[in-house]
Amino acid sequence: MYCYLYDDFIQGNKRFEKELALIENRLTDLGINGKISRLALFRNAEEMIRDEIDKGVTTVVVLGNDDTVRKVLNVVVESQVVFGMIPLGPKNQLAELLGIPEGVAACDILSARRLETIVIGTVNGRKFITGINVPQFRAEITFEEKFRVFPTSTAELEIRNLVGASNPSEGMLQAVIRADVKRGIFQRSTKEESILPLQSMTIRSEKPIQVFADGEQMEGTRFDISIEPLKMRVITGKNRQFDT
Amino acid sequence: MFGKQENSMAHQHAGSETIIAQGVKVEGDFKSNGDITIDGELNGSLQTSAALHVGESAVIHAEVSAKQSVIAGVIVGNLQIEDGLQLLSTSQVTGDIVTSHLSIAEGAVVNGRISMGKKE
Repeated sequence: MYCYLYDDFIQGNKRFEKELALIENRLTDLGINGKISRLALFRNAEEMIRDEIDKGVTTVVVLGNDDTVRKVLNVVVESQVVFGMIPLGPKNQLAELLGIPEGVAACDILSARRLETIVIGTVNGRKFITGINVPQFRAEITFEEKFRVFPTSTAELEIRNLVGASNPSEGMLQAVIRADVKRGIFQRSTKEESILPLQSMTIRSEKPIQVFADGEQMEGTRFDISIEPLKMRVITGKNRQFDT
Repeated sequence: MFGKQENSMAHQHAGSETIIAQGVKVEGDFKSNGDITIDGELNGSLQTSAALHVGESAVIHAEVSAKQSVIAGVIVGNLQIEDGLQLLSTSQVTGDIVTSHLSIAEGAVVNGRISMGKKE
């Protein structure tokens, strides 16, 4: 049984009115229509989804963007239901990675139901799918409590889950450190890229740093990053940007 | 999140390549099952069951163990290379070497004992 969760930014928005009608018709044609839940101010997305799962929903499809996914990620992973999405509007990086086109074209991808299992990362207990970015990075990283890594100059840190990870279903993340290195007589700065596979790491910084998990900002001096024991089953398109 | 035992296994399960580029320093016990390329600095110990490539800009102070290795940088520490070791002309090794096959280019510097054949 399918449950479709409409984010509040697409409801009553003329820009999406026609597209929503097309989507609803196409889902009915494909025989995968289901219960529609509408997000609104003061309505808790997790509670809404949990109620639907209790009533027998096995596939949760969000209509919205990366922010919508963030609202239901915890409950989807914990309940082990299948996750799908119909991307609408800007900020749809996850849909791109999963190979799901925007709007009504996503309905056929849902109907084809190509399922993949992916790992989910956590940073300080908060789940993430695509990865983490630390743009201004001058901190110490401890990998697997075994060895420490320091950039010797200003660097950027990216932790990838889907793209770049050796196999997103295998349970490894990938850390990419891009450090500034000066070369030649003119001391031109180039970015050198270090790549380390990992299952857990800790970032420690003397001063608070900004970390972006799936695009959402977090600030602090310590970030514990690891992999969730529970994996997530997602519907993907054939144009997904990761290998399994 | 994970128990200690799982943590200790983490990098041993990594089959993909690890790259330590210039501008990055590693301290501690580094273990992998995948290929490793080092162009930065490393202090501690380094172990892989696959290939190790040490670039010209690399400076390593560590006990090193690998299946096969090509070295162009500086290593201070003992090397145990199972299958074959290639020391390029820019390499400088201060430490004992144990390997089954060895190739040393002109200009390479080795200060230490060299034992050929697999370690008992």
